[in-house]
Amino acid sequence: MIELAEAKPKVGQKYVDAMRAQFGGKILEESWQAAEQVTLMVELNSLPDVVEFVYYRLGGWLSTVVGSDERPINGHFAIYYVLSVEGDETETEKAYVVIRALIPPHQPEFPAVASRVPAAVWYEREVRDMFGIQPVGMVDKRRLVLPDDWPPELHPLRKDAMDYRFRPTPTREEENYEFIQVEGEGVVEVPLGPLHMTSDEPGHFRLYMDGEHIVDADYRLFYVHRGMEKLAESRMTYDQITFLTDRICGICGYAHSVAYSTSIERALGIEVPARAQYIRTILLEVERLHSHLLNLGLACHFVGFDTGFMQFFRVREKTMKMAELLTGARKTYGMNLIGGIRKDILKEERTQVLQWIAELRGEVTRLVDILLNTPNIVQRTAGIGRLEPNVARDYSPVGPNLRGSGFHRDIRVIHPYCAYDRVPWTTISKTGCDVLSRTLIRAEEFFVSLDMVAQCLETIPEGPILTEGFAYKPYSFALGYVEAPRGEDIHWSMLGDNQKIYRWKCRASSYNNWPALRYMLRGNTFSDAPLIVASIDPCYSCTERVTVVDIRKKSVKTVAYKELERYCVERKDSPLK
Amino acid sequence: MPFKLLREVLKVGEATVPYPFVAVDLTPGFRGRPQHDPAQCIACGACAVACPPNALTMTTNLDEGIITWQIFYGRCIYCGRCEEVCPTRAISLSHDFELAVMNKADLYEQADYRLAACTRCGVLFAPAKELTYVLALLEQSGVTGDELAERGALLAMCPTCRRKNDIVKLVALNQEAV
Amino acid sequence: MVTDYKRRDTLMGETQYAIHMDDQTAALKGALLHDIRRSIFVYRVDCGGCNGCEIEIFAAITPIFDAERFGIKVVSSPRHADILLYTGSMTRSMRVPALRAYHAAPDPKVCVAYGACGSSGGIFHDLYCVWGGADQVIPIDAYIPGCPPTPPATIFGFAMALGILSQKLKATHHVEGEDERVQPRHPELPLDLRVDVERESRRMAGYWHGQQIADSFLNLLKAPASDIERNIQNFLAQKDDSRLTEIFGRLSEIYLMRKA
Repeated sequence: MIELAEAKPKVGQKYVDAMRAQFGGKILEESWQAAEQVTLMVELNSLPDVVEFVYYRLGGWLSTVVGSDERPINGHFAIYYVLSVEGDETETEKAYVVIRALIPPHQPEFPAVASRVPAAVWYEREVRDMFGIQPVGMVDKRRLVLPDDWPPELHPLRKDAMDYRFRPTPTREEENYEFIQVEGEGVVEVPLGPLHMTSDEPGHFRLYMDGEHIVDADYRLFYVHRGMEKLAESRMTYDQITFLTDRICGICGYAHSVAYSTSIERALGIEVPARAQYIRTILLEVERLHSHLLNLGLACHFVGFDTGFMQFFRVREKTMKMAELLTGARKTYGMNLIGGIRKDILKEERTQVLQWIAELRGEVTRLVDILLNTPNIVQRTAGIGRLEPNVARDYSPVGPNLRGSGFHRDIRVIHPYCAYDRVPWTTISKTGCDVLSRTLIRAEEFFVSLDMVAQCLETIPEGPILTEGFAYKPYSFALGYVEAPRGEDIHWSMLGDNQKIYRWKCRASSYNNWPALRYMLRGNTFSDAPLIVASIDPCYSCTERVTVVDIRKKSVKTVAYKELERYCVERKDSPLK
Repeated sequence: MPFKLLREVLKVGEATVPYPFVAVDLTPGFRGRPQHDPAQCIACGACAVACPPNALTMTTNLDEGIITWQIFYGRCIYCGRCEEVCPTRAISLSHDFELAVMNKADLYEQADYRLAACTRCGVLFAPAKELTYVLALLEQSGVTGDELAERGALLAMCPTCRRKNDIVKLVALNQEAV
Repeated sequence: MVTDYKRRDTLMGETQYAIHMDDQTAALKGALLHDIRRSIFVYRVDCGGCNGCEIEIFAAITPIFDAERFGIKVVSSPRHADILLYTGSMTRSMRVPALRAYHAAPDPKVCVAYGACGSSGGIFHDLYCVWGGADQVIPIDAYIPGCPPTPPATIFGFAMALGILSQKLKATHHVEGEDERVQPRHPELPLDLRVDVERESRRMAGYWHGQQIADSFLNLLKAPASDIERNIQNFLAQKDDSRLTEIFGRLSEIYLMRKA
């Protein structure tokens, strides 16, 4: 464990004190990774109590859960629950509290937290897949991450399981994922995907319908599971992984790259130069610009306003050009090194970007005005796809998705990183809890980001953009976090030896947004499903067919996805009839 | 509203760029195809070590006494790490982006370099060009005459022989001291 | 069409699931490429991409690049497709859906591997949960590399796959020449000065700007000693960039320290 130099005041000490008062001797160890990052080791059996206490009593939000095979280091498996502890509305002290427990290797199981804190459901299913550690008391016995054709006894992230290149024979030729069963008079099951509509990744959806109304929904994602974490822990060196993290997401890849880099920089105690911090901020906001324009374009498309879609994509190209000018690639890819950044901003780039910002401000103002004055936009989006505040509180969703439900929660403010505490800006939140609120947030955030890029360019400090000559400290670990366009991305990294990473866990923002989607779909009409899915901004991808299963008649009807999309756009002639 | 939209559309006019009939406008730092200048390469392998996706690889063939540098454009992620680490600027990212091929084999570029044999034991141990380049650098840093010759002779030995040579020298020095 | 399943556990195995094309289909395909006189319909199959490729395809069909002006249209069912565009490194979970999409598309069809992942698996090429590129599962006719390919690269790729533009890239194999020698950069200047200037330049401006700035600075040092300072001042006045002036200030310090 790395003890932080005493010089920096510890933020979050009072949460640690509150936990000690409640649990006393069950807290076995305390270590600080940064001024606002503490890891507490607790007794394994007290895990649900402690996590629940921190989540609901201290104002914690579940950021990620990390499983780790630490048998080669200390003879145990380990599990880390990472919570952003924020107190109540008036609280100003915010910290990351990590609750760690060791799991004996001869009895690889831990008491499931998910029954107390629903936000942990996916994480605990993932830990079971990847490490073969059983969450005792977990109701959902299904796989989450690994494909259906993967051998059941092989857990890829166990250090002794297999070579990272090992490709076992598929155990079956057909998918056998068991979707939930919804019984009821007239309930119709509608499977979508995996090659389908609105999602970033291929995903398989099932909508359970009563007439035109969605009763419930279930989904199977992770069709894109490639094994990045194993790759980072084997083939790559710790300084190559920044280029891998770019490729976690094709839209907010840079946010991941910054989250990873800062986790390593924090673990190694590297001071990143101020100029590099500003440039990272600029690039993160440029990424938000093109991402939000993409989503606004989609909002147009799904309410049947395709001209608007094309217009948003037209102006979006200016933000892509901005990225190309600042980074050399249209995707803000490949810009981070551990310790800083790879490309400076000189006068030529600065002048050009400022000019484009001025142009975009006018163009997007006019387009947003046109969009909001489209007659059916409010009717199609207001009150649709409600994310109730209590559901949001239970599932820890992030980003505009959460801010649309009245929570004023933005990692850029709660845990400032890069230059976010050095330039003035405001967070946007709305209380409508619906598709409209989420769309409006993105529109307003676009202009905040424009201002922020301009501010940063105008006040960027002098000096180097890269820190060199730091020492690699084996087995040090820390968190890195970024408010990506879709919400908090969080990375937990532990260095190994020999210039490698021992364990790296990344959690993309959508991971926290998917589980609550089920509740957002319930009670809405079939025709609004694509709009609701798009409103959590999982991006969109290929389309295939929609199969309608009538449970009563045991019959299967196939509807072209295009039909559903058309129905969403036109809302005439339901394909279900 | 429709009027506003129409006005916007008319104001913008033709938005489409005329590519492929006219060359597309790229920013100066655009990262396109890594361009390798084989004559400028010393086969040191720094690029292959840095390359995150293993698009760049080095393979040694001891039977033929060559080391082969290879790039596979199909795997390249255009990050420019190779350009960043190359000591001789033998590789740099060009503006070339028209890389589509019908034949996968056309995505490969290779360059063969001779391996130098150790002057003591005859084992092949390093690209000959790399050794010549190190000598040139020594010259540039002001090493001349006997010293240059001596260091050149050391360079022509494989690491094992060089270590043996060092030990022999050290023993001799010790004996002198005694 | 025959799908031949050869099953075995592998460490980075090669093609597992070969699809054999009969002569008639092959002939049809040749005809499609040469005689097509209508729009081309494209269906995208995301086989585990990061979505970067998908977004760039969208950029290619929206107003600025507008691939639809050539009749290239993205459709939402493989049943309508002439071209299947495979993105992503072909994950295990997407193997069966990818095959399903392939068989759903009517013959003749052209299969294109798109992006680094589609072409070869890209940065994920040897991982446990991927098969390493579309051609491990589907017979591929054309490759469009890039990470992701830019919209113009996409348009070029389509045009090439359809035989409108010709392929530019050719495999090369260089063999070291007899008298091939590499000259150090800036041989007129001391090595340690050059190395220090280049290193500081990269620390200040990154490798790309850094190389250019270091070269300009080092070239200015080659003038007669009495002119150097004035030349630097003139150069900076002409550029009128405060950041460049700051970096040159740091480089000058190194130069003066080395000279002393």
